[in-house]
Amino acid sequence: MPSTFRYNGSIRSCVDIELVVISIMGKSRKTVQIGILIAVLIIGGYAIGSTLFGAGNTLLKEGSKPPDFKLADLEGNQQQLSDYAGKAVVVNFWGTFCPPCVKEMPEFERQYLKWKDQGLIVLAINLSEDTLTVNNFVRRFDLHYPILRDMNRKTERSYGLKSYPTTFFIKPDGSIMEIMVGGMTEVEIDERIERLLKL
Amino acid sequence: MSVLENTKCECGHQNAVGTVLCESCGKPLENNDSPDLPLEMRYDGVARRSQKSNPNIIDRIWNFFSSVKIAIYLIVLTFLTAMLGTIFPQENTFINSFDPSFYYEDAYGLPGKIYYLLGLSHTYESWWFIGLLVMIGTSLVICSLDRILPLYRALNKQQIRKHLQFIHRQKTVYKQTIEGDSEQWVEKFGAQLKRKGYRIHTEGTALLAEKNRFSRWGPYINHIGLILFLLAILARSIPDWQMDSYITISDGDTVQIPETNYFVKNEKFTVEFYKDEELPEKLKGKARAKLFETKAVLYECTSNCNDPKEKPVLAEVKRHNIVVNDPLKYKGLKLYQFDFDLTPRLNAVHPVLVNKVTGETYGPMDLPMKDSALQHKLGPYTLDLYANYMEFAIGDDGEPTTLSRDPVAPAFIFTVRGPGLAPEGEPYIYFPMQKDKVRFSQDTLNQAISDKIEIKVDGMENVDFSEASTYLNVRMDKALPYVWIGATFSMIGLLMGSYWQHRRIWLRVDDGQLSLGAHTNKNWYGMRSDVAWALQKIGITVDSKSLDNGGNNA
Repeated sequence: MPSTFRYNGSIRSCVDIELVVISIMGKSRKTVQIGILIAVLIIGGYAIGSTLFGAGNTLLKEGSKPPDFKLADLEGNQQQLSDYAGKAVVVNFWGTFCPPCVKEMPEFERQYLKWKDQGLIVLAINLSEDTLTVNNFVRRFDLHYPILRDMNRKTERSYGLKSYPTTFFIKPDGSIMEIMVGGMTEVEIDERIERLLKL
Repeated sequence: MSVLENTKCECGHQNAVGTVLCESCGKPLENNDSPDLPLEMRYDGVARRSQKSNPNIIDRIWNFFSSVKIAIYLIVLTFLTAMLGTIFPQENTFINSFDPSFYYEDAYGLPGKIYYLLGLSHTYESWWFIGLLVMIGTSLVICSLDRILPLYRALNKQQIRKHLQFIHRQKTVYKQTIEGDSEQWVEKFGAQLKRKGYRIHTEGTALLAEKNRFSRWGPYINHIGLILFLLAILARSIPDWQMDSYITISDGDTVQIPETNYFVKNEKFTVEFYKDEELPEKLKGKARAKLFETKAVLYECTSNCNDPKEKPVLAEVKRHNIVVNDPLKYKGLKLYQFDFDLTPRLNAVHPVLVNKVTGETYGPMDLPMKDSALQHKLGPYTLDLYANYMEFAIGDDGEPTTLSRDPVAPAFIFTVRGPGLAPEGEPYIYFPMQKDKVRFSQDTLNQAISDKIEIKVDGMENVDFSEASTYLNVRMDKALPYVWIGATFSMIGLLMGSYWQHRRIWLRVDDGQLSLGAHTNKNWYGMRSDVAWALQKIGITVDSKSLDNGGNNA
């Protein structure tokens, strides 16, 4: 073996680098290979994974996780969607300017009273109207579920709303069971809540 | 064991599998069909790092990415698929949230539908396109590593006395019988090459002259740049690293930039149009914007930022007049003028209350369209706000209602108490806009009370409205500096590899017989003239063309 590696000292410019190179070439070569492949798996996996699952601002659809919100109710208490993790939640966006929304509100009230003992949560998010308008409306209909106040259309935007009313049926595992755009009959609401509570 | 025997050179050096030229003496190792043709000098004939006699699964993955052929296929595939993404507009080029599942079919028919279903409407964000980029990146790293390390080693420990076959099979060769002392001749020749910038290494009657070795590292520095570039592009998917969104702000409004801690105020938007005499004939009479400018103020929220009950506390960080191509810039955030809307919007009025009997006026009071105070006191009168409507209408049930949440036709219903009015108060409906007063017959609705009092606005100075709204494009790209760093590295590497050539000359004198071979990675003409020039200086005149030993690109 001694004659195998005949280096000429005069050409060697940097001994340190050479030692590193030799060690990489030699014993730790396998480690370097595995290290690089693991790095590729992590970085590549993150990049590919985020195209599959990330994509935060794309449209919400069945099975996706709705964005969390933190809004004040009429009593001034903060309510967060994540507070209700593990429960069946109906999130309804409504405004006094939208007749089908107005029609649905008492229907949700009846459904809420019917199912609340089984753990149903109804969160009705007002579409950034002013306080007096909302208060007058709620007083008129005597509603018992929390009415949340969106501000400057922030929550509405994060949910990508296009028309009103829109209702999200959210499963106890936190994913969306169904998105209903437009008004529903009471039977349609009832049937969906029943399905939601069975999950 | 048979493999090991095959790779052992006659000089005694043990070479790795896949070695073309002995790492020590340079003797060609492979079974040669054409022993007279010039040698394959790529990577100095050393074996690629990953070449192994019996590869396992990791070696196989490694070898896959180590292949330049695979790298080229990957690059071509990426080019071709990138072209597919340019057939129809990509989803992310649309500003408004639209439903792509209908759009492509509506706009382009069946081809559009297929395009959408294949996922080509978001080609550059698709898992397979990103996957291709990741594979190219991996290939860059592994290809480079597998070649640069053996090459570095080979160039760092070069044997000075090369095998005769190695010298004679270079593309530039010179053979001659020389007189006199061989060692002196070698020394004299080396001194001349030194004047041409060569570094000289001698060993008895053998010589190695070399220059510009650093240019061999150019491609690898270029690759490091490309890898940085790719990583920077992949880093854009990190949350908060990239943003491209649009906000609409009416004059005087302050709006939060979604998903940030920043708020922007539009103090005033102005638009100037070209006058008719400034426009060419066919554009006369059309509104063409000459200048649009937003006086913008950027705020950063310092507390209560996401508390729905509290007003956020804002601190001004930047003030700028945004015009086209002159965005407001702050810490990587850029706000570009994008569009405008000249529809005015009523914000607030400051009306007075007139006692129609005595003619006395009280006020004015402040009445914003949204979230007004619930009680206003004007002289002896008390006004309790009972209800307000943004776009007043009478619903199907005969009750007043609103058709939208924008102050298009605002109305306020007060319960007014005061002199000459019922002690429990009397209702009064107030329309701030003259057109609505007429349309909904304010006086008829108010009946008797309209003879006693009137709420009205005195002059335009008591009307607060936004003349216009500005549309701003908000952009942020934190990856951009890294893209530039990557591009710079890449360019430096490219220049190193392109503008300099690595040249080497080997020679040995055996019993007065001179054998000289020279190699360069490009510009063989320059290589030969270097040799001819040095020979000329020590008294041997050769035509540089005659040094050509054939071979491609020589």
